[in-house]
Parts: sequence; structure tokens; C-alpha cells
Amino acid sequence: MALELVDLVKAFPGADAAHPAVDRVSLTIERGSFVSLIGSSGCGKTTTLRMIAGLEFPDRGRILHEGRDVTLVPTSERGMRMMFQDYALFPHMTVGENVAFGLRLRRQRGRHTAGEIDRLVDEQLERVHLPGLRGRKPAELSGGQRQRVALARALITDPEVLLFDEPLGALDAGLRRAMQFELKRLHAELGKTFVYVTHDQHEALAMSDRIAVMHAGRVLQYATPEDIYFTPRTRYVARFVGSANLLDGVLVDADRRVGRVRLPNGSVIEGSAPEDAPAGTRVAAVIRADRIEIRPAGSTDAVRGTVQERLFLGTHDEFLVRLDGLDADVSVHRPTGTGGAISVGDPVGLAWQPENVRVLSE
Amino acid sequence: MKTTAAARAPGTDLSSAGTDGRALARRRLVLWLAPPMLWFTAFMLVPYAIMFFYSLGSMDYVDFVPGFSPANYVKALTAEPYPDVLLKSTVNGLLTALLSSVVAFPLAMWMAFGLASPRRRALVSILVVLPWWASYLVKVYAWKTILGAEGVLNTALMAIGLVDEPLSVLLYNRFAVVLTLTYIFTPFAVLSIYAQLERIPRSLVEAARNLGATDGEIFRRIILPISVPGVLAGAVITFSLGFGDFVTPSLVGGPDDLMITNLVVNLLGVSMDRPLGSAIGVVVIAFSVLLLMAANAAERRTQVRF
Amino acid sequence: MQRPVEYGRQGWLRVSALVVLGFLYVPILTMVVFSFNENPVIGLPLRGPTLDWYRAFIDNEDVLESIVNGAMVAAGCVCLGVGFGLPAAIALDRHEFPGKAFFRRVVLLPIVLPGVITGVALLNFLVLVSIPLSLWTIVLGVGTALICITVTEVFARLQQLGRSQEEAAENLGATPAEVFFRVTLPNISTALWGSALITYAIAFDELAVTYLLTGRDNTLPMALWSMLRREATPEINAIATTVFAASAVVLVAGLWLSRGRGEQVQS
Repeated sequence: MALELVDLVKAFPGADAAHPAVDRVSLTIERGSFVSLIGSSGCGKTTTLRMIAGLEFPDRGRILHEGRDVTLVPTSERGMRMMFQDYALFPHMTVGENVAFGLRLRRQRGRHTAGEIDRLVDEQLERVHLPGLRGRKPAELSGGQRQRVALARALITDPEVLLFDEPLGALDAGLRRAMQFELKRLHAELGKTFVYVTHDQHEALAMSDRIAVMHAGRVLQYATPEDIYFTPRTRYVARFVGSANLLDGVLVDADRRVGRVRLPNGSVIEGSAPEDAPAGTRVAAVIRADRIEIRPAGSTDAVRGTVQERLFLGTHDEFLVRLDGLDADVSVHRPTGTGGAISVGDPVGLAWQPENVRVLSE
Repeated sequence: MKTTAAARAPGTDLSSAGTDGRALARRRLVLWLAPPMLWFTAFMLVPYAIMFFYSLGSMDYVDFVPGFSPANYVKALTAEPYPDVLLKSTVNGLLTALLSSVVAFPLAMWMAFGLASPRRRALVSILVVLPWWASYLVKVYAWKTILGAEGVLNTALMAIGLVDEPLSVLLYNRFAVVLTLTYIFTPFAVLSIYAQLERIPRSLVEAARNLGATDGEIFRRIILPISVPGVLAGAVITFSLGFGDFVTPSLVGGPDDLMITNLVVNLLGVSMDRPLGSAIGVVVIAFSVLLLMAANAAERRTQVRF
Repeated sequence: MQRPVEYGRQGWLRVSALVVLGFLYVPILTMVVFSFNENPVIGLPLRGPTLDWYRAFIDNEDVLESIVNGAMVAAGCVCLGVGFGLPAAIALDRHEFPGKAFFRRVVLLPIVLPGVITGVALLNFLVLVSIPLSLWTIVLGVGTALICITVTEVFARLQQLGRSQEEAAENLGATPAEVFFRVTLPNISTALWGSALITYAIAFDELAVTYLLTGRDNTLPMALWSMLRREATPEINAIATTVFAASAVVLVAGLWLSRGRGEQVQS
């Protein structure tokens, strides 16, 4: 177990004490795994990461690193390196001096000769694909290059844990993709524990071994990307991760984790549920847009609607369908070039497999 | 084992204080805070307290008698000439603040919007600050040279035939005092207003133009409202400097133009009435504290974020 | 069709800006011109030109001594400003503590408090604890009042800097001293130099506090003050012009030297 967070609570002075920034967060992070904390801004993910780093200290709860209590250990003593959102490069030092910073501190005195440090700096710059830039100042680098320098600086002291605070937030889409592959490769190559904070669910899904979805200071679900995506435990998780349709209704019955939901228009939808709630509970049926089949309306269709909008999105078309007798729109994704022609205003039929429906009460 | 450990408060199982991050942060705070706090206590708060103590006592010929009476405050606020002079100083401060803001505004505007290159802005900033580096006393005296009966201005006016005899309204009166104070403190106002205007993104002006605003409307509805915190910051400084000045009135003012600080100096030096001087001092301190608080509140309320 | 004038480039704006800039230099010009005027009264008519007043200045040992005194006093004030203003700014920006608002108010009060009041308060104090007046007491009074300059300048720079660099350094294993000397200090050095420059200039020219706290030794403004009150000759202009020219050279040179570094750090 690389890291264990036990019941962490952190409220900032002056803020509402009843709603702390981080509220009883417990997580176990396996050694060598890639864990992402995701959620919208203000959900407590960054504060949690900063407590792991030792930049903030919790009001309650504990942080264990390899079984050792590090809750109040200052960040300089933790051996966990953080990548900051703004990179936090030292503007008055060259790239080489920035990368070497961790090795030239007093605690490292006598461990490395000047030649060794030079070699290590070159090695790290090589690793992040920036050879030959060591003489530049951070101001002379592009955003992507700065990001790599920050990475090299964090890696040079060979930390066991690397912490990332939305490191790709300031990069453009293409660079982001490239860096995602890069970080994934580095993770596989180094075998270190990565804890990654982002508000971008695609990024988290693509890179992580496990994802913790946070909301209002609490962890709503901590699971593999597949589980988070296909079997969300709460409506918030379903909505936040991927494009899911939420149809509100009332539970007719539930048995062995299969629930049936009656929508206001009388139609009944069946799906899997995380637990068996009593009949009559207000629930939502959750169906992902890419799991819905759309076709021109026919007499056999159980669910029907009318196309409101059609958006061409390259790999797929997105249809916004108003369901008959319901005050709700459903978004449907259909791979481009499949099925018959459907235009705005057309009556359509929708169909899905029950295993692609989640019935969620929370 | 695990549950008992988890139930303990953080920190209790950490023995050495050196590894406790919160203690470390506290120690660092004390290290930074203690020296200035002790210094300000010893050489500001204690002197103010002593001043307050004196202000409650009285004089028996040349000896100070400690006491606990508001008599000096009553005198400072009601007995002529003190309230009158206090009011006059305030008005002079206000006029200084108002006039230097008005004079400073076009220059600050031009620096912020009319000068594109940072080099030029830096150059003009230096030109604004430079006069302020000349001796304050000599600058005040220079106005005496300019405004006097045989001064530069009168000579010039007579030479071009605008007046027949020297104007005596130029010197030794309130006009001269306020003009001189305005002149001395205008650079503060320029820099303060410029610092605020410089933050305005050019796109704001472009957007306003794009929406059909005239230059006048851009000024009234965009530049002016956004500039308020800068104007206020400059005005607070120029007001205080104008209010508290004691050199300018004695060089270019008339006998009626003495300000409150001149009175305090006289009370201490000439009349030896330390309690009354101290009471006026305390009144001015209280006034300054209120001004600082009001300025802070106004700044917070008017500042915009980009 | 007429091409619209870019905002801020209107002719009237430039003219009024230049008029204001000219206004700032009228007394400076007066000061310089009359320093070369033969007329022993500072004023018209112009006779001359002469260097007599500069010669008188160079022979005036009292004034020369007061310049040296003033330079030392100003240097002392800079030391107080950096020594106490820097830690105060760091405490105010980087830390939370009870009474912070009060502390801030006390530190910044001298910005709005007339120097005479500061001087009177300190004078009472010094008399009470029977510390004799000297150049040191001027440093104490003026320097303490000017600490607020360093505080505001450094505080603003720290705000602009943010905390992440310091956090990154600490996270990489730096001790508090290493964080301060290797990361914080290099980043605020231009603000520190700037405030030192301003403090020096104000302290060198300070009269109100100095007037009350001075002992036997005078600073330059005190020497000029007594000259102006006795009999003002253009020697005063010669002195002021020389000091002004020297400060201007130092100021411009200092700005020039610090410019390159400042730009890099800020970008």
C-alpha cells in the first residue's frame, strides 16, 4: 500500500464549517498505480492532493505512506514530488538549474558530484525529450516545454510518489493528447505511484488505473475507469463521467439488483441497480448516449420521440430526441454513416439493452 | 490496532517537533512577525500611548501634571483657532487631492493608452518621478520665485502687457499654498492612476467601440469607473500629504494659512503646551486611522477584477 | 473617409499630457536657471551667468557635512525598511495570525499620518526615556515611518508572485532558509531595490520628522531650511541643482541596470 488516506477532513478558516473543503475522504492507493481524483472545481480534489503532498495539513484524519504516518510531516520531508498547475518553474534559473534544484539542496550535499548532477540533468531532460535546452530560461520556453521541465525537475530525485495538480490544464488539445500518452508511458516505465488531479473526465478515463470522483468534499465513487463509466453508483457520477441521459421516474420493483422504473409517461424501463431500493423510491434511469439505438419510427417501438436537433460531430451524429409524453430530451450518438437518414422533426423509435441501463436512487 | 491509530488526533503520534509541518509553519511565522511587531510596538504604539497619556493631563506653568481629563480634547475641538485650523487643513488637503487628481488624469491616460511601447511608458514614468527627486524645500521656494511680486510670472505678464502692475494675489495666500501642494504631490496621483489604468485591457476599449460607443462615452462609462480605485489611492496619499504639510504654508502662505501641523509644532516648541499639542496629535491620528479604514473599504468596493 | 484615431492617441490628450508634464518641470527649470544667476536675490532680473553660487556651495562646509549626514541617515532608514519591512510583508502575505488586520493598519498608518505627528509622538517618547537627540534618533523616526514603503512594495510583489514557486521548492526538499534565499529573495529583489531607492530618496529629503528629532547634527533639508529662513541666496539653488543632478543620474542608472533583470523575472 503506497498511500492510505483515512477520514481526511479539512475546512479552511472563514469558510462554512458544516461543509468542509474535504469531508471524510478515505482512499487506498496501491503502490505503482495511477489514481486520478476528478470532479468539478471546488470539489476538494486539489486540497486532497495538497494534503498528500504536505502543502496543507488536515483538521482530522491521517495519511499513511508505506504504513508510516506522514499526516503532519512537512512536504520537504515526504519524498513525494508535485507537478503544479502553473508549473512553478523558477524564472531566475535556467532550465538546467531548475531541474538540478532538488539535487543541489543542503540535504543532498555530498551525495552527488557536480559531474554527476550534470549527467543526471541531461538524462532527465532526455527522458522528457528536451535535450539541449538546459541553458534556456523558463520565459523562453513554450507551455509544453515548461511542463516537461517541471516533470524532469520532479523526477530527478527519484521520488516514490508523483503528484499532479491539473498539469495539462493550460495546454491546447493536441499537446494535451501527446502529454497524456507521454505520462502513461512514463508511468509504465518508472513503476511509480501517480496521483493525478483533473477536471477532465476523458483524461482520467484514458490514463488511470482507478478514479475517485469527488463532489462537495466527498468521494462519491472510487473504482476502475470501466466501473465508473459503465456502472456509476450515483447520478452525479453518471452525469459527470461521459454523456449520460438521466430519466427521472419511480421504482416499480427491484429484485437481485435489477430494477424497473416507471417514467411519468407510463413507460417502464429495466436496468441494473447498485442496491435494491424499496418500490416507490424516486430514481433515475441512466442510459449512455452511445448505447441507444435510433431508427425511423415503426409500430413495434416501445419508446418513441421526435428529433429536435441533429449535430454532426465527425465520428458520430448526435440526435436530441424529445420523448413522447415526457418533458425530457434524450441525447443519442450514432456512428456516422450507419442506419437510415433521419432529419430534424422526424418521429423516431429508441431501443437499448437492459444491461446498458443503470437505475440510481442517490 | 489500525482503528485505534486512526482515532487518534493527528500529531499525537509524531514525537519530534521538527517533523511537524504545522509547528514548522508556526515557527516560521513567529520568525517573520516578531521583529517587526516588537519594533512597531516599541516605536509606534508606545509613543502613541504616551501621547495619549500626555493629552489627558495639564500644564502647571512649565511642569506637566498627569491627569485624566478630556479638557484638552474639548479645547482642541471647540476653542479657536484649533477647530478652524483643523477644518482649513482638511479643506487644503481635499483641494490638493482633487486638483492633483484632475491634473494627473490626462497624463496618466496618455501614458496608459497613448504610449504603445513599454519603453516609452517606462521613459515617461521616469520623467514623472524625476522632479519629485529634487529638493522639496527648493521646489516650494521656486514657486515663491515664480509667483512673487517681482517674480517670473508677474514679469512675464507685464512684459506682454496683460497687466500693468504686479499681481499680489499670486503669493502669500491660500491659492499659492494649494497650487504648491498640488504641484508637489501630483506625481503620486499620476503613478497611482496610471497603475490602475494600465490594468485595463485594450480589448475593453475595442469592445466598447465595436458596440458603438463614442470616445466620450468610453471615457465616462468605462475608463472613469474603472479608474476609481487608482484615483482614490492617489487621493488618500495626496490628501494626507497636503493636510499634514507644514513647510509650504510657512513659505508661500500668508499669516492666516498656517495648518494644523504648524500649530502642533508651535504648541510644543513655543507655547510649551504639551498636553494640548498631544491632544491635537491624537485627534489627527484618529482621523488618519479613520481615513485609512475608509480608503480600504472604498478600494475594496470599487476595485474590479479582470 | 477619415481614419478614426486610436483611443488614447487623440491630439488633445497628448497636448494636455505634455502640458502637465511641463508643469512638473517649471519649478525645476526655475531652480536650475537661478542657480546660475548673478543676482544675489533668488529672482529676476537675470544677470549672469555665473558659477559663483556653485563655488560658494563647495566652500560651505556645513552644507557638505549635512549632505554626508543626510546620506548616512537615509542609508540607515533603508536598513530599517528592509530589515523590518520585508519580514512584515512576508508575514502579512504568507501567513494568517490573530490581529493581522490591526497589525496591517499599524504598519500602514504612516502613509496617511503627517510626519509632524509621528515626530511629536516619538519626541515625547525619547524625552521620557531620556535618549538624547542625534542622527540616530532621526533614523529611528524617519526610518520607522518609511517601513511602510517596503511593506507595500514587497507585499504587492509577493501577491503577484503567488505561492507555488515556494511550495515547489519546499516540495523538492528545500529547507525554509533555502526556500527564502534561493527562490523568494531572487523573485522580490527588484521590488526590494525599488523600495530601497524610494525610501532613500524620501529619507534624504525628509523635513517634518527630522525637524523634531534632530540633535546637533543637521541633514541637508535642515541646512536648507535654516538658510531659507535667514537669507536665501542662489547658493540654495546651486546646492539643490547639484544634488538633483546627482540623484537623477543615480536613479536613471539604477533603473537602467535593474530593468533587464526585472523584465525576465516578471514574465
